[in-house]
Amino acid sequence: MTTAQTKNKTDDQTKYGYFLGCVMPAKMPWAEKATMLVSKHLGLDFGYMKETLCCVRPGVWKAVNPDWWLSITAQNLANAEKQGIVMVDTCNGCYVSHYEAIQELHEEPEKMKMVNEHLVKAGMDPLKGTVRVRHYLELLYEDVGMKKIKANVVNPLTGIKIMRHVGCHARKRGDILPNYFDEILKATGVEIIDTPYDKTCCGLLLYFSDSNQSILDRIGKKMLTAKELNVDAYAIICSGCYDQFDRAVKVYKDEKGIAFDTPIVHFSELLALAFGYKPEDFGMMYCRPIPTTKLIDKLKTLKEGKQ
Amino acid sequence: MSQEQPIKAWTKLLEAGRKITTHQQVDENKFYPLRRVFRPAAPDIAKASMKRDFEQGLVYYVGDDVENDRAMCGLDRLPPTARSFKDAIDKKRIILEDAGVFEKTTYDKKKGTFEY
Repeated sequence: MTTAQTKNKTDDQTKYGYFLGCVMPAKMPWAEKATMLVSKHLGLDFGYMKETLCCVRPGVWKAVNPDWWLSITAQNLANAEKQGIVMVDTCNGCYVSHYEAIQELHEEPEKMKMVNEHLVKAGMDPLKGTVRVRHYLELLYEDVGMKKIKANVVNPLTGIKIMRHVGCHARKRGDILPNYFDEILKATGVEIIDTPYDKTCCGLLLYFSDSNQSILDRIGKKMLTAKELNVDAYAIICSGCYDQFDRAVKVYKDEKGIAFDTPIVHFSELLALAFGYKPEDFGMMYCRPIPTTKLIDKLKTLKEGKQ
Repeated sequence: MSQEQPIKAWTKLLEAGRKITTHQQVDENKFYPLRRVFRPAAPDIAKASMKRDFEQGLVYYVGDDVENDRAMCGLDRLPPTARSFKDAIDKKRIILEDAGVFEKTTYDKKKGTFEY
C-alpha cells in the first residue's frame, strides 16, 4: 500500500473531487445532488472532478486484460492528479478500480511505464502516482468524523425502518467500510433491519454470464425480503449496485408480474434529510423506478407527530 | 449456469451486440462446418456497452430525458463527465488504440462495429 493511500488525516487545504462514474449522473441525480449538499453542509471543500470517463469496471476489464484495465483507468487517475484533487468515489466499483490501479502501478514500475507511454501519446501528462483515492464513506467517517456528523443531525429519522446493502467491493478491505456505512446510517436515526441477505451480492458482475442467477437468485431475493418485511426503504451507497436494483425492479415488473414497492435510496439522501433538507431540495421524488411517495409521507407524519 | 430461459432484457442486450457484429460465427459456420470456432475478445453480450464506452467514454448516455431529470433535481443539465468534455473521449480513443484494445476486440472505430 502506498503512502498516498494510507494517509488518513486530511489537512484543511484538501480539495475533494467527486468522481461521478457512469450510473450516478445518468440514473441517480437525486443521489448526486444529496451527496453535494451533504458534503458542503459538513464544510468539506468538495467539488466535481472534471473530464471523468468510465472507471473502468475491474470485474470486467481486469478479467479480460489487466493491461487494458490499467491503461484506461490511468486516464482518470492522471486527470485527477493534474486537477490537484483527492479523488472521491461513491461507487464501490469505481473505488476498487482506482484504488487497485494506483496500487498496482506503484508496485510494478514496468506497468507505470507502459501506461505513461499511452498517456503521453494521447497528449496527457505522465502519471506520477501521487493521486489519492478515497471512498466517500472514508471521507465522512475518517475526515469529518462521527462527532460532527451527529452534531449536524437536526431531524433524526426515528421510526424509519430500512434494509441496507453496502455491496461486495466495499468488503474487500474487511469490515471497515461496512461498519462506517452502518454507523453513519444509525446516526441519521433510522432503524436497520438485519436479514440473512445483507451480505448477498447484488449480482451485477454475474449478469453477463447468467442473467437468471444474477437477477432472481441475488438481487431478487433481497428485494423480495424487503417487500416481505415491509421496510420503508432500501439504503445503498454503490451506483453499480443501484444499477442492478433498477434492472431487477423492471425485470420483476415486466416478466414476473411482481411490483416492488420498497424505494431504493442513497444513504446521502438519508443524511440530507437528517441534516434538515427537504426531499424537494435534492429531487427525492423524481426519476426513480419505485416512487418515494410513501416514504416521504411517513417522514412528514413522523415529523408532525414530533412537533 | 441456470437452465431457465434468460430474462428478456438480457436477450435484448445480446441481440444488440450481435447487430453490431459483422461476422456472425453461429450463422457462418453452417456454411463452413470445418472452420474452427474461436472465442472473440469481446463477447456479444458486452458489445453494446463496450461500443457506448468507446464512443462516449461512459456506459450510460446522458440525453435530453436525463438532462431534464438532472435539472429537476437541481443539478446542471450536463454532468462534468466526458459528456461535457469531448477532448477526454478523443484521448481515451487514442489510448484504446495504442493499448491494442480496438485491434484485439476487432472494433472498427469508423463504422462502430465489431468484425467478430
